[in-house]
Amino acid sequence: MRHPLWSSVKHLVLMFYLLITLYPLIWVLNSSFKQNKEIIDSPWGLPQNFTFANYINAWTGSKVSTYFVNSLYISTLSAVATILLATATAYAITRMKFPKWSKVVSGVLLLALLIPAGSLLVPLYILLRQIHAYNTPFALILPYVTFGLPLTVFVVSAFLKSIPGELEEAGVMDGLSAFGLLGRIVLPLTMPTLVTVFILNFLSNWNEFIMANLFLAKEKLRTLPVGMVAFYDQLNMNYGGLCAAIMFSVVPVVLIYSILQNQIIEGVTAGSVKG
Amino acid sequence: MCEHHFDHGMVLDSSLRGGKGSMNKTLKNPLAYVLFTVPTLLMYLLFFLYPLLTSLRYGFTQWNGISHAQFNGLDNFVTALHDKYFWIAVKNNIYFILFSVFIQIPFILALALLISRVKRLSGFYKTTVFLPSILSTAVVGVLWSFVYHPEAGLLNKLLEAIGLSSWKHVWLADEATAFLSVLVTNAWQWIGFYVVLVLAAIFAIPKDILEAAEIDGAIGWKQAWAITVPLIRPVLIVIVLLSITGAMKALDIVFVMTNGDPYGITEVMATYMYKKAYRIGEYGYANAIAILIFVFTVILTLIFRFLTRKSEEVQYG
Repeated sequence: MRHPLWSSVKHLVLMFYLLITLYPLIWVLNSSFKQNKEIIDSPWGLPQNFTFANYINAWTGSKVSTYFVNSLYISTLSAVATILLATATAYAITRMKFPKWSKVVSGVLLLALLIPAGSLLVPLYILLRQIHAYNTPFALILPYVTFGLPLTVFVVSAFLKSIPGELEEAGVMDGLSAFGLLGRIVLPLTMPTLVTVFILNFLSNWNEFIMANLFLAKEKLRTLPVGMVAFYDQLNMNYGGLCAAIMFSVVPVVLIYSILQNQIIEGVTAGSVKG
Repeated sequence: MCEHHFDHGMVLDSSLRGGKGSMNKTLKNPLAYVLFTVPTLLMYLLFFLYPLLTSLRYGFTQWNGISHAQFNGLDNFVTALHDKYFWIAVKNNIYFILFSVFIQIPFILALALLISRVKRLSGFYKTTVFLPSILSTAVVGVLWSFVYHPEAGLLNKLLEAIGLSSWKHVWLADEATAFLSVLVTNAWQWIGFYVVLVLAAIFAIPKDILEAAEIDGAIGWKQAWAITVPLIRPVLIVIVLLSITGAMKALDIVFVMTNGDPYGITEVMATYMYKKAYRIGEYGYANAIAILIFVFTVILTLIFRFLTRKSEEVQYG
């Protein structure tokens, strides 16, 4: 402000940093429209013959369509189940009059924020084999739902505590039961928070790799990150295809982020500080 | 008049009490409470607490995953102490922590201070810097493996273009550069996340403190160092703690990029655990490593807590 030059220097430094940060993504996007030979020969230029061939080949030939659909329905189902269970629980422990039990419930859930999920991989793997969920979509849905629960319960509880009790009193006067209160009064008020926690759960399921890699062996059940790593392991110089496949995973996330950036930043950072 | 008033009060009072009563009755419905909490607890018990307890148990057994698990006391932990590859993994976790704390954090702090000091576009910088943190770690690993690719990779192409062809490497297969390449990728993914945490703390500093500092002549970087940094000390402690636990948990990124190669020199504890469990089937030993990761993390966290408490005493004492 005092030194206009100094201010432009700051912007220059920041812009330069952003360029370095984003360039790998831009480069992969740019390469995804090129042929393999062009990726090697002219890595910097824009595509000469702009082509969607890589996308079409990756989608059909390399089964990215299967991986995409698997990722989509597993992430969505798990996130919805997490939200339903967590909201009911959050409602019970914040609004219903069983204070002793509610303390036990939230204390038990709090434990999850201390234990890294990685240390549960091996016993979970064994458990999923024992209950015959290994190699079925449930091998991911069950752990995803569970691992999303603790933080979702805490975030929704924090919001519910801020709703005044009068609305529920009015609901009770109208003859609503505990279920009616939750469905007719609390849920509609909580919608904006639920959208945020849904997106956060969805993204962490969509991005999860280790469990998806360990708990599913069948190729047709693979999720996108697993498919992507397998793709890279058998690359065979198909660089354009790889770039297109990466974009199939990155673009949905970037689109969601560009619409809901503030909620996502708030949710992700709040979760980590509490954890 | 007086009587009427009294009457009115009575009606209001009793209707209120009636409302409260039925409210309490509705919210004391045990069936509803059970239906709302038990499914969550059941999932949590089955897929979190039970695996946690079995993990603790199997850590003290010899088990190949098929036959019966044999209790063997502390044998697995003794094995770990004598396992050369386990110690390579421990050493790499320590490198991971040192890199995150001493290279990433100063950089994060500088970046956050810079973003907090521009008038325009600071929101844009914040959201853009954050972007890599919401991508899948596995996909980030693949993307950067491609950046490091010996023939088609961005890095070698760049070195070629600026006339430094002699600097070209097979980055992820060269002993000298493999682990560092992974650390740079990890930094790329997480720096923005921490920048946003620090920024939130900087923006929460009351304006009048900064104005008072300016009157006292603390402006620009002097103000940042003397006023802002001490005031955001709590969030700096949090990001050091998150860096330590993050480095101890690191699994996906190493698994995808090097999988411990070349010759096991880029292995971290979590990838080593994973290998023992999955590829070789030494479940007991793998669970012992999982317990060790947790114990080491707790010890490091406590040491760090102790150190920061000390420095506080020195400051005010």
